[in-house]
Formats: sequence, C-alpha cells, structure tokens
Amino acid sequence: MVNLTIDGVPVSVPKGTLLVEAVKKIQQEIPVYCYHPKLGPAGLCRVCLVDIEGMPKLQIGCNTPVAEGMVVRTRGEKVDTGRAMVLELLLVNHPLDCPICDKGGECDLQDYAMAYARGTSDVADAKTSKPKGVDLGPTIVLDEERCVVCQRCVRFDELIVGDQQLVLKDRGHKDMIATATGEPYRHHFTGNVTELCPVGALTSKTYRFKSRPWDLTRTQTSCTQCSVGCRMNADVRGGTLLRTMSVESDDAISDGWLCDRGRYNIGYVDSPERITQPLYRKDGSFVQISWDDAFALWAKALHDAKSAPESVGVIGGGRLLNEEAYLLGTLMRAIGVRNIDWRAGVQRQATPGRFSGTLEQLESANVILVIGASPAETAPVLDLRIRKAVRHGGRRFDIDAQNETAALMAARDARSVALVWDGSDVALGARFHELLSGHASLSTFIAGEQGNARGAEALGLLPRDTSLDTAAMLDAARAGTMRVLNLFGVNPALNFSDPALVAEAMRATPFSVVTELFMTETAKQATLVLPVRSAFEKSGTIINATGELLPVEAALEAPVGVLSDLEVLIGLAQALDIALPTEEEVRRTVIAAAAQRSDDAFGDARYVWSQKQAVQAQRRHLFAGGGTSAHDVRIAALRPADSLAIPVGV
Amino acid sequence: MPVTKVLTAGIGECDLRDIAVYRQRGGYVQLHRALTTMKSTDVLDAAEKSGLRGRGGAGFPTGKKWSFLPGQIPTRYLVCNCDEAEPGTFKDHMLLEETPHLVLEGILLGAYGIGSHHAFIYIRGEFKRGYEIFMKAVADARAAGFIGKNVLGTGYDLELTVHRGAGAYICGEETGLLNSLEGKRGEPRLKPPFPAIAGLYGMPTVVNNVETLAYLVPILANGPEWFSAVGTERSKGYKIISISGHVQKPGNYEVPLGTPVRELIEIAGGLFPGRTLAAIQPGGGSSACIFPENLDDPYDYESLAKAGSMLGSGAFLVLDDRTDFVQAAYNMVRFFAHESCGQCTPCREGGHWLETVLHRFVQGRGLHSDLEMLHRVSGTITGLNLCALGDSIEPFLKSVLKRFPEQFEARIQTVAV
Ligand SMILES: Cc1cc2nc3c(=O)[nH]c(=O)nc-3n(C[C@H](O)[C@H](O)[C@H](O)COP(=O)(O)O)c2cc1C
Ligand code: SF4
Ligand code: SF4
Ligand code: SF4
Ligand code: FES
Repeated sequence: MVNLTIDGVPVSVPKGTLLVEAVKKIQQEIPVYCYHPKLGPAGLCRVCLVDIEGMPKLQIGCNTPVAEGMVVRTRGEKVDTGRAMVLELLLVNHPLDCPICDKGGECDLQDYAMAYARGTSDVADAKTSKPKGVDLGPTIVLDEERCVVCQRCVRFDELIVGDQQLVLKDRGHKDMIATATGEPYRHHFTGNVTELCPVGALTSKTYRFKSRPWDLTRTQTSCTQCSVGCRMNADVRGGTLLRTMSVESDDAISDGWLCDRGRYNIGYVDSPERITQPLYRKDGSFVQISWDDAFALWAKALHDAKSAPESVGVIGGGRLLNEEAYLLGTLMRAIGVRNIDWRAGVQRQATPGRFSGTLEQLESANVILVIGASPAETAPVLDLRIRKAVRHGGRRFDIDAQNETAALMAARDARSVALVWDGSDVALGARFHELLSGHASLSTFIAGEQGNARGAEALGLLPRDTSLDTAAMLDAARAGTMRVLNLFGVNPALNFSDPALVAEAMRATPFSVVTELFMTETAKQATLVLPVRSAFEKSGTIINATGELLPVEAALEAPVGVLSDLEVLIGLAQALDIALPTEEEVRRTVIAAAAQRSDDAFGDARYVWSQKQAVQAQRRHLFAGGGTSAHDVRIAALRPADSLAIPVGV
Repeated sequence: MPVTKVLTAGIGECDLRDIAVYRQRGGYVQLHRALTTMKSTDVLDAAEKSGLRGRGGAGFPTGKKWSFLPGQIPTRYLVCNCDEAEPGTFKDHMLLEETPHLVLEGILLGAYGIGSHHAFIYIRGEFKRGYEIFMKAVADARAAGFIGKNVLGTGYDLELTVHRGAGAYICGEETGLLNSLEGKRGEPRLKPPFPAIAGLYGMPTVVNNVETLAYLVPILANGPEWFSAVGTERSKGYKIISISGHVQKPGNYEVPLGTPVRELIEIAGGLFPGRTLAAIQPGGGSSACIFPENLDDPYDYESLAKAGSMLGSGAFLVLDDRTDFVQAAYNMVRFFAHESCGQCTPCREGGHWLETVLHRFVQGRGLHSDLEMLHRVSGTITGLNLCALGDSIEPFLKSVLKRFPEQFEARIQTVAV
C-alpha cells in the first residue's frame, strides 16, 4: 500500500493506483474527458489537472500514479486556473447548442463548465463551423462541432472491440473523428461510443431528438436478447421505451458494455403490429376473443386430452423468465403432460454442467477454442471477453479443419483453456469436450440462441425418459397423434431446421396454442394465439450462459389486454382448477435451480435429437427480417445496405 | 572571433561526401577504435564525461539519457532525429548535406555506445537533397564494412534504417517521431513511459539529434576533457548556431558555448547600417525573446534560462528596430497552431484562438479586450500540454507583447466593430 495525502486527507491505496482513481477513495472527483476506467489514460483533454507538492507544473491526475508521501491538491488557485483555462479553451469553438443537444442534462462539458469554468467568455471571433449531422453508419450520427477530441471512441474501437474503424483525421483544430476507410461505421458494439462520448458528438439515430434525461424514468434490468444477460438501464419516457444504456459498474456480466442488438433492437416493444387480444381460429380465419373464452377453450382442449397426456406437447421456455418456466413445467406435469422441450431451433444444450466457467475465467484464459456459430453473433458481449483475453495475450482459435490440430496443441500447453460453443452440434461439442476434458483448468461456455435457455433447462423444461423432444413431438403431430401443442414464445416455423415439418405438424394438430408478441410464421398456423408481454414489461429472473441468476425488472406498462406468460399460466391453471405453487415456493425453487450444478456432460443422451436431422438449420439475422426484429420499426428505418448480421434469438 | 571548426571542419574546403576524402581526414577511425578497443560503456562514459548536452532542443545531458536504458533488455534502438523543423534552425541538414559521413559515424558510435544493433535515422521529408547525399554515404560505408553484419570484422552487427518523414514539425518531437517511424499517425505519446523504457516498437530507445551524435566523433578523437574544457559551468563544448534575421551574413557558425550574445551578432556580420537591435529570439521559434540588455550575456543554457528564454536548437534570430512584432508574433503563433497535432486541448484550441485574434491585430482590427485575453491565455497555456509543442506557442508572443505593447495597441480598431 502507498500512503499519500489528497486535499489534506490521508489516503492509502495499492501501488500503481492512478491519482484519478485514488481520489475516489475520499469521495472526491477529478474531472476527466479522455480518461475512462476501461480505456485507461490518454493524457489528451488536460482537464484532470492536479497540483503535486514539489512539482513546478500542474500534473494530469489520469496518468500520475500515487507515490509514498505524495501531497496532492485537486483544488486551489493553481489547479482552478489551469482547469478553468482548459474548459475555456474547449468552449472557444464549441457550439453550445445544448437546447437541441441529446446530451444536454447528462453532458460532462456542461457539468464541468458549470463547476470549474470562468462563466464568462473573451471570444470575440466567430466560432469555426464544422459538419453537424455526419452519418457515420447505420447507428450513429456525429456532430463534429461538439467533439472534444477525447478519442474515447477511437480507443474503444482499438482497445475493446479490436476493430479500429474510428480514427482521428487531419490535425490541429481541424481534426475530426471519422472511419479510417470512409466506409460506414459498423460492428456489433457501435452504440457504446455514444455512452463513452462525454459530450453530444456521437448520438444514436434511434434516440436523436427524442428526449431529455430528466424526462426519462430509468429501470435497471437485464437484457434478455441473448444468453449473456447484460445488466442494462431501460429509459422510458411517457410509456415509451426510448433507449437502453449499459451499466458501467457491471463488471461481472457485461463489463460495462452493450451490444447493438441489446441497445438498438428495442423498438419492437412499441410496434403497432403487436397483438393485443387473444385470437382464435374459426372457420379458417382468426377472430378476436376475450381472455376468459381463450382460457376456457384451451382448458377444454387440455381436459379432453386428459386421458391421453402423451398426445399433449409443450415447446418453448428459453424466452420465458425462470418463474414462468417453472410454472409452465409444474402446471403441465400436474395434468400429466410429459412432452416438454424448450428447444425450438438449432440449439440443443444450454448448460455446460460442471465445466461451466465464469466470465473472469474466460477473460483470463490462455487459449480459447470457439466451435460452432460465432459468439460475436450469438452472444456479442461474451465475445468482447474473448477479445479481452486475446488483448492480454490469450490465443483464440475459431476452429476449422485447418487450425484444429494447432489449436489442440496450444490448448494442451496452456495454463487455462476456455471452450466456447453454440450448443447446437452435440457430436462436435462432445468430441471437443473429450479432447479437452483432461485439462486441469477447462471452462466451457454455451452461447446459444435463446436468452434464458439455461434457465429453462435448470427449471426442467427438457423431455425426461421416454417423453418426446421437440422433433419427436412434431413428428408425432404430423402423424396425427398429437391433440394439443402448446408453444411458448417460440417460432419453430422460422427457426426449426425443418419448417415444412412444423407446418404439417401444426396443420395436423387439432388444437395449438402460441403465446407471442407478433403474428409470427408459427402463430399464423395456430388455433389460439395469446398476446404476451415483452421482457421490458414483466419482472422476474433469468439464468445466463454462465449460470448467474439475474433480475429482470419491468420498465414499461404492457399494452392494454396483454398478459405476461406468467399471468397466462395462472389463468389457465384457474380454468383447469389446478393449484399452483406459492410465490415463495417459486422463488425458492428458482434460486435452488440456479445454484445447482448439473453434472451433465457434453453429448449427454438427452441433448441429442430423437429425429435424424438431415436439414441443417438456417441462421436468421437481425435485419433479415427474422423473429421480433422484423417488427422493429425504428431499427428498420436505419437498415443498412447489407445487414449488421446480428442474429436474433428464436 | 571565436568561430571554431569542429563539426564544420573541412566544409567548403574539400568534398567530405567522398568517403575517401573523409577517411583521409581521419574519418571512421573513431568507429574502428571504439569497436576494436573500447567497450560500449567506454563510449557512454566519454559522452557523460564530455558534458555533451542534446543539441535538438531540450539540452538533456546525453550520457545521462543513455544511462536510463534498462540493462536487462538487449534489444534497444538508437534513433537519429534529423527532422529539423524548428523555425530558424538549419544546421542538421547542412551537416547531412556537407558532411554525411560524420553524421553517419556519429550515429554508429551512438548505437555502439548504447549497445544497439539497429539504428534509425528519421530525415525530414523536405530534405530530398540531403537524403540522396546521405543514402550514397550509407552505401559507401556499407561497402567499406562500417554497416551490416560483423562490422569491420569485430563481430558486432550494426544495421541502419533510413526513413524519410512526410513533413510535419511534430514528427521532430521524439515520441511523435517514433509513432511516425512505426507507420502511425505522427502524434506524441503520453509519457511516462519514456522512450528509454518503451520506445520504438515498445523497446528501449534513445533519440538523439544529428548534431549531438556528430559531436561524439571529435569527443572520442580528442578525449572528453577536450570538450568539457570549453564552455561554461553547465554548457560544455561547441555548438553550431544558425544565425538569421536582420544581420548582414546569416548562416551557421560553430562557436564555443558561452560566447557572448553580442559576439554572435558580430560573427554574422553585424546589424545592417543604421539599425538598432530590438530583440533576439535565441533558441528557435519556441523560445522567448531576449533584448539589448542581454547582449553581454554568455550564450549558454543557464544564462538564457535565467533571461527567461532558452538555448533550444541554437537558432538565433536577430530582430532590429524595423520589426513589426505583431506580424512576427502572428507568424510564430500561426506556425505552431498549424503544426499542432490537435491531440490535446490547450495546444489545439489555444493555438488556433491566439492565431485568430492576432490575425485581426495584423489587419488592424484588434480589440482592447483582446489585449487582456492575449496576456491571460499566453500566460496560462504553457505547462498544460501533452508535449512541448503546445508550450512553444506563446513564449515569443508573450515576450514581445510585454516589451512592445505599443505595437499591439496601435493595431486596435478605433471605430466600432
Ligand atoms: C515540437 C517539437 C519538435 C522537435 N523537433 C526536433 C527536431 O526537429 N530535431 C531534433 O533533434 N529534436 C527535436 N525536438 C526535440 C526532441 O523531442 C528530442 O528532445 C531530441 O531529438 C533529443 O535529442 P538530443 O537529446 O540529442 O537533443 C523537438 C521537440 C518538440 C517538442
Ligand atoms: S455537448 Fe454538452 S455542452 Fe455541447 S451542446 Fe451538447 S449538451 Fe451542450
Ligand atoms: S466523438 Fe465524442 S468520444 Fe469521440 S473523440 Fe469526440 S468527444 Fe470524444
Ligand atoms: S501539445 Fe500540441 S502537438 Fe503536442 S500533443 Fe498536444 S496538441 Fe499535439
Ligand atoms: S482525463 Fe487526464 S488528460 Fe484527459
């Protein structure tokens, strides 16, 4: 520990701590623009000046490590004069168009100018004008006049994303941010620069001119769009979800970032195409019915099948919350139903069992093997951890026929190995698991399709013993032996490897129920379609890819007439006159399920489809019109020429 | 007259570009001697004992700079800084063009002195002629076995890479130079770490000026005491001064450090008839002016610092009583504003703001409130910047603003804007 004095207060911090961090120990702050805890010092903005005894010049707090006996002043005439000068200079050519600036109210330039600047201006000349609405790419607009050249955006691309698209061009007071090639700014994480930008220079197209921070109601929740479950803030104004923001302190899960799917694929919540009333197929077309009628019809269909529970199937759960998943399993098993499977796409397995790793293990792995679909697509923010590992000297192998041997050799000699798999090809997973299982420190990650797949698995939405899995259920349905199919938040007609089978199965099944937000390909073929809430409209928990139990909080009211899946299950239970577990029981079960360590290995028999899969599943992409995103009006408006290619969960 | 000929010896008398001529005059003897009879550290000791200070601008003791290299890392680089873009400085490219083998021998000695097997020289893009002359010298020296594997059969490998810049003043700043050499944007690096710890390609690196390295040759030839016997307390040896401005014979003059300022003007032919001295910018565009009361000061590091200026690169600009100091200040500030890399706030914004305001003064459109602003800003931005360029914007301006306020006041607009 190093002992020093800051503003007269003795402080003791570990060796190597930067002053900018050390002052936080005494609840003080040094203003910063270019410094960021995740990007490190850059020494560019010069606003973080401090006065250190024995040093003739002011020093920058962001790049000065503590030293024993150091005496630091963060205020005082010398510091204040220097800092005020820096702020005055930043404002010389700043447009100060705060009234129309998205950042107004949460702007570090406003805040520090108020706190530390002179308050008057000696500028007698016209400000230089620069382009104000530069279209950087599909997601971001740049206002060059507002840029303070902190280069956080540049360093984010370089250090965090590892894909250096944004650079500083030209020099002197003419310098500006642009993509190096002049091509649109496009990768999976672009939105983060709008948060890193201390001013209103980089703004999101989706949020531009939409609101003021003080008009927003913020709810901290977890993103459910993939299996990482990043902590995020949902900002709502007047009942409309306007933006999602990262949680900077979320070191455990997101590392403080969000991917563009989690950030920008949110407009669907607001879509006019959402269904808001139960729909019942009558004489070939849908009619609107009441919830009471819907429950009654559904209960009757299940009741009629009571003598033959093997003719009832349940598909889905990976998009439900844990509590809903648990109730779904409990209710269905209470009426004797055994054919339950959360899987509706290409993913077969969500839990890596006892080899499950933490994200800290992943970022410190020496060798990372990636098999199956790219985690950059399936679980983008998890891919950032891999990139972090690589930045710290780890070696990444995206396995193909060429590099397999080299990868396995590297893994053999590595201190710690991480295996990242998409959970779809069970034979592949099993093979690599076997090849690596001898390794003392192996951690494995399944980055699959559905946000809460691991929760669904932990809460038992998998076929047991002789019961049917999804493929077998669809087969049986096609053969005419299924009487009721219950589909929860899944769209197999789009995502299952054999859409024709799904269509035939739906047609041959007398009663099929789909809970959905939209009239998906699957919903269109159902008997009963029930409108349900999005994850922004309900509260509960999920279990992410690394087994963390994460809270989901409602940030929004659901549209009138729309129930959560939980409420739907309660309604059905009432119609069937079946008692459900108490809230407390549900809570306890969920916590226990999250804590339990499954010993399933890769390639466990129950993860293998019963049916031979000839057709390989097609991956659907965010902008290719799959899943909910087709209904995302806002993101559709900024659809790039070729897609951003982030696939959406099934 | 104290003009001496050490580095400049032979220039104008014989063709030093011819390796045979250079060798005939004792060239490459010191390299041979160092490689065959001296340890690396002996060269370092000689540099240290001689009192040689960097001739590139900062005046840092050369031997001390070398001694910062961490001993345990064998890969280390010597980089010769031949970017010479400091306003008024024209000594390095003279050496490059007139006595390229001396420059080369200095580089090779420096590399050996720090135990480096790979030296670089960064030549300002505009020095096309110097570059071509130097390339020929390198080819000749390579053919003679002074560069490459197993130099002169001593077993010491010493490679040299010649790099041409693309014309930016900031690439003369040592870390801007290293970035540029690596193919990156020419902007200074945040220090620490210093180049001695993590320099070129992240390896320990020494950056030295052309003139600094060239002096190694006579220092080894005559012994460090010969060098340290000349000069003043903390300014040892000789220095080439680039004298320009209102003198009759501007040019490069090599003199012992400590030569009185007055004599430097005389060496350069004195002022034009009928003129009187107004100011001298004694250390390049980055330095503040000194004035007639300093004429008897010795021209050395400590006296100039005491006078509120610096020796810098040794560019000595004489300004007589007909000087338009508003225009001169504008030119100076405009240069730095134009050359600012724009990374850091005070330099980027401050330089441009001062330039804009001074431009109005030049046009006779100054405001009373500007004067106060010029004083305040020029008095504050130095010391706040990431590199020394930002600290170089205002010294000239501040010194003449204080000395010749009437010239600025005369440019204040009398009618309403
Ligand atoms: C803006 C700027 C420009 C510089 N340009 C040069 C230059 O052209 N040549 C040079 O030798 N040093 C230049 N320097 C000084 C170098 O940073 C460095 O101190 C010098 O090359 C070290 O060599 P020396 O110790 O031999 O003087 C410059 C410094 C600054 C801040
Ligand atoms: S960036 Fe900040 S200071 Fe600038 S216009 Fe926007 S809110 Fe105002
Ligand atoms: S755009 Fe924003 S983040 Fe990027 S350099 Fe400018 S102010 Fe900094
Ligand atoms: S002081 Fe000027 S030249 Fe130096 S880093 Fe800052 S902006 Fe660039
Ligand atoms: S925060 Fe220290 S220089 Fe920008």
